[in-house]
Amino acid sequence: MTHDKTYSHLEKIGRYGILVPIICFMGYPLVWMILCSLKTNLEIFVNPWGFPSKFLYKNWEQAWVVGRLGRYYLNSIVVTVASVCLVLVVSSPAAFAFARLKFKARDFFLYLFLMGLVLAPILVLIPLYKLMRDIKLLNTYAGLILPYTGWGLALSIYLLRSFFLAIPEELQDAARIDGCSVFGIFWRIMLPLIKPALLTVAMINAINYWNELLLALIFMQKTEMRTLPAGLIFFSGQYVTNYSLVFAGLSIAIFPMLIVYFIFQRRVIAGILIGALK
Amino acid sequence: MRTEKGILFILPALVIFAIFILFPAAQMFYYSFTQWDGLRLPKWIGLANFSRAVFVDEIFQKSFLNNVLYIIGTFVTEVAFGLGVAILLAKPFKGFGVFRTFFFAPYVISMVAAGLLWAFIYDYNFGLVNDFLSLIGLSRLARPWLGDTSTALAAVTITSGWKYAGLYMIIFYAALQQIPKQLYEAANLDGASEWKQTWYITLPLLFPALRVALLLCIAGGFAAFALFFAMTNGQPFHSTEIPSTWIIKHAFDRKNMGYGAALTLILIFVSTGISLLYLILTGRKEALS
Repeated sequence: MTHDKTYSHLEKIGRYGILVPIICFMGYPLVWMILCSLKTNLEIFVNPWGFPSKFLYKNWEQAWVVGRLGRYYLNSIVVTVASVCLVLVVSSPAAFAFARLKFKARDFFLYLFLMGLVLAPILVLIPLYKLMRDIKLLNTYAGLILPYTGWGLALSIYLLRSFFLAIPEELQDAARIDGCSVFGIFWRIMLPLIKPALLTVAMINAINYWNELLLALIFMQKTEMRTLPAGLIFFSGQYVTNYSLVFAGLSIAIFPMLIVYFIFQRRVIAGILIGALK
Repeated sequence: MRTEKGILFILPALVIFAIFILFPAAQMFYYSFTQWDGLRLPKWIGLANFSRAVFVDEIFQKSFLNNVLYIIGTFVTEVAFGLGVAILLAKPFKGFGVFRTFFFAPYVISMVAAGLLWAFIYDYNFGLVNDFLSLIGLSRLARPWLGDTSTALAAVTITSGWKYAGLYMIIFYAALQQIPKQLYEAANLDGASEWKQTWYITLPLLFPALRVALLLCIAGGFAAFALFFAMTNGQPFHSTEIPSTWIIKHAFDRKNMGYGAALTLILIFVSTGISLLYLILTGRKEALS
């Protein structure tokens, strides 16, 4: 018995001995970023590991103002929210039709959409840039929202379709016998049933849109129209030697995401897992 | 339910998909055969762009090699790291929740923010890496990690590993939970050591999850852009150039849009080709239907 006990003690020490350094590797960069954002530039050099001698909250204030982070935040929120709404509005009826209705060329259209799962946005960057320029949508919200919606369709339709398929078919047969129209079945019966799935799909899309850089960089070249990722790169390039200011800007960009994550952890992790394992 | 109204349900999605994906994708084929600055009319030059890309453009070839090295590097770091931690976490212990929270946290921040943060961590003067090295008496190894051609690509790869390890950990953790407990009970009765149980039971049953992880690394690796753009944008001396950063430089900085289109088609052809081939070879065709 004593042998077993020492063994399990050793195992415990071994487990924590490996896990604690890993936690430091994963977590410390974020802690370091926040600490540095509250120091002076000199202190970052002299005392990189420790706490700041005085917490300079005004770094954050300054970064928010001179870095125009408020504007970038606003742009990112507008583009993300509008794209998520639009992609849900157009993909949920399509997903319902692909799951539950039979019509001509249905499978052809389904495969057409699913092709989008294996392609990358860079494929259409050059022609879309020309199109957006010709119809004067460069540097407008619509110029980013429309392509984002297009790129969200494949995954959204694919995921929502599988959720619709999981609903028992008897429900819709019963509704039809009661005289419900196809639109009624979709709107009043099926859609309310997949509300949690809609939330999951909305979250997966929102994360993708929020972090997207390539299209945002090329289609939004005016400073006041930049989204947060493109704005951050611009900001850090502009204040390249003012370290504490850039640290503060980074912290402002990252902090809200971390807070949301800490609050909704379980849902976020489950949602991301669904999105990744499509 | 059979009804031709079905087409009405997919029509809005179809219109957006056609205008913003299908139609531009078709245009790409045309542009790739032209010389075009984005403003004047494209001039047909046949296969010249493709032969230049494949036979002349050494940087494009190098960028593909870099991309493949990056994919291998991310697979090794993310999978080894994520899998190792998932196995460590498989047995319940004190502090599990806190650990999972922190381990997954880097995944929720954007690629750009992660890249900019790690550019600081690799900084020659005050970065954590060099500070740590001097702390343990190895300051002779200190260097500007992103400015050195021999370390820049590895430095970017490790940043990706830091950001994505949590995702792979969750994937493997979920797969571990699926393994029937009876297998371990039986192995215990037979007196198999814990190490043997890991090797003969856990790893073989994790194979499907490993295949998914490899596919994610391949598809995600070829789609990489934000991390490279934020950290190095190909510097120094193209040692971190990948096809996507090279394409942007040609198409938008040098206004060689025709050539950029050809490079894009080659990239998409190779990346989707490899992904599809992989899906077919591993018998996961059903994943597409």
